[in-house]
Amino acid sequence: MSGGSTPGQYRNEAARTIREEPQVRDSVTKATLTFDAHRVEAFAQIDSERWRDWARDVKTHLLTHLDKYLEEAEAQLIANGAKVHWAETAEDALEILAGIVREHGIKSAVKAKSMLSEELRVNPHLEKLGVDVRETDLGEYILQLLGEPPSHIVGPAIHKSLEDCRELFHERLGTPVNAEPDELAAAAREALRKDFLAADLGISGGNFMAADTGTIALIENEGNIRLSTSLPRVHVAFVGIEKLVPTLTDVAGFVQLTSRAATGQPVGNYVSLIQGPKKADEPDGPEEVHVVLVDNGRTKLLADDEAWEALRCVRCGACLNICPVYRQTGGHAYGWTYSGPIGAIIAPGILGLEESMPLPHASSLCGACADVCPVRIPIPDLLVHWREKAVTAGLAPKSETLGLKAYSALAQRPKLFNTAGAIMRRAPLELGGRALPILSGWVLERAAPEPSAKSFMQMWEEGIV
Amino acid sequence: MSARDRILGRVREALAERKQEAHPGPFGGWRSEGEDTPAVDRFIQLFEAAGGEVVRFDDDAVAAAWVRDFVSKYDAVSMGRLARWPTAVGAESPELVLKSADPADSDVGVSLAYGAVAETGSLIMTPQDGRRAQLLPPVHVVWVEEKMIFPMLYQALSTLGKDLPSAVGLHSGPSKSADIGQILVKGVHGPGRLIAVLLADKKNST
Repeated sequence: MSGGSTPGQYRNEAARTIREEPQVRDSVTKATLTFDAHRVEAFAQIDSERWRDWARDVKTHLLTHLDKYLEEAEAQLIANGAKVHWAETAEDALEILAGIVREHGIKSAVKAKSMLSEELRVNPHLEKLGVDVRETDLGEYILQLLGEPPSHIVGPAIHKSLEDCRELFHERLGTPVNAEPDELAAAAREALRKDFLAADLGISGGNFMAADTGTIALIENEGNIRLSTSLPRVHVAFVGIEKLVPTLTDVAGFVQLTSRAATGQPVGNYVSLIQGPKKADEPDGPEEVHVVLVDNGRTKLLADDEAWEALRCVRCGACLNICPVYRQTGGHAYGWTYSGPIGAIIAPGILGLEESMPLPHASSLCGACADVCPVRIPIPDLLVHWREKAVTAGLAPKSETLGLKAYSALAQRPKLFNTAGAIMRRAPLELGGRALPILSGWVLERAAPEPSAKSFMQMWEEGIV
Repeated sequence: MSARDRILGRVREALAERKQEAHPGPFGGWRSEGEDTPAVDRFIQLFEAAGGEVVRFDDDAVAAAWVRDFVSKYDAVSMGRLARWPTAVGAESPELVLKSADPADSDVGVSLAYGAVAETGSLIMTPQDGRRAQLLPPVHVVWVEEKMIFPMLYQALSTLGKDLPSAVGLHSGPSKSADIGQILVKGVHGPGRLIAVLLADKKNST
């Protein structure tokens, strides 16, 4: 099963995915190219430069006044009748959830897609508590049946083909082997409808939270978030503390910009704006709404003079879609919840720098991610920032440090450099490399081109180049 | 010290030396596309592009007759609390009462929208009407008054913001997903058909 790895295994996992599961690259590339084409079209319809400046500035303002807005949001939520909890770590968040489960005697839960709940590992915890938990986003449902984590922030199952889904649904839901997508979706709808109607707990994340009204904003296309937050008697929303925006009118801008950046829609099909539990004049809705404000490493990122900019992220996935490195493997190889360029720059805050290596290196620094980011996070700069921090902290691999030292010694001695070059061009790297300690990892994962017979210097002197 | 105080303490410590930035002001006012299009036309354009269906009526009674006729083709109907308006729809007519069912068992739901948004092509659904009727039946018919179509989303939200219910839903098209092999399917969890019944603004029509 894929997805059980850690960031430290990135290089091997990425190589393994490309070697053993070539269809993943096909599915992921196809999906990300489609997502990105939609974004390009949707950005062309608006003054996207101005929208992005605005969004960057609102988030920067928010983050530099975060304490004030957190207090304002808390007070407003309480006034709305919601219950507010603060979680410093994932363990704290899970303990809070356990308390709610015990208090209400929760037996079954429906879950709306939430990356934070993946980060916190909510599902295994609920299962341990004896709660029957069901992912309701169609992509997440597919992955839950397969026992896999999401591979993309917006499209969790983009690494799965129609054929994969046909096989899975045939086995688990009894649909015909060659069922059309409509039939498959109808089967999932029928199965999940029962869960929606039976569940006594609904779990969601939060795309944004307006401090002035205490509003949790959620964007989606299927309706499963609306159902998860409307039908069960208790709703628990996990919200990262960086998800705040100052006002509900700011939310109006962010839901549109995020939708355009993520899927190219003017706005997601359904936007839920949740203030609290049902009021007296309302016939249905949850009796209790709990909001869990989660730190889990975010204040660590905030304290970093450069990396704090990553907290502007709206989780649209645009940087994954454009990333030539992400497209090769999808998200599983990265070994944790948030993959791609954004994942590599928030990982050191949430997991710790050592546990995050070598993710900041999983990039060619081509800069495409910074070009598309709707909140203008300087992602390549921050990748370099974490690489530097890793070197300072002595976390760079020994092989890399030694290699660079050796190269530096060579490069300062022209004669030795030429001799070394001549040897390298003639060495049977493909075969010999496998026996060597450092090169073996490299050549096992890659097919190297034939080296040139002459050096660049020689070709220059002979007038070839 | 509580978790709350420790988190807020860490935030304040992190921000102690950080330069504070000002809020850039309200979003909007610089749209390049669709500015000159009347709000109702822009709403219809976007709503239909997202797969929604629109019917427009100048006369409430004709609209009500259309809705009554539309829902009568189904076996089980759930009417939102406010959707009985305009009363001419005849929710109490013996035929519809017989077909009246819980939203979970209904073929079609009828609701009244608070209003709509032109720039996003969204219906604004409030919970006073009943959320289940808005979400559970496979077909959803929604009354909207054209005079309640806001050109921009922030205008709608700042109007609503004065008296917010427990939850507001913006519905901008039928439920859809591309999670199965990136192929678009409709009606995954929410209604697969979403029909907006627009009622003309009497003051503006001649």
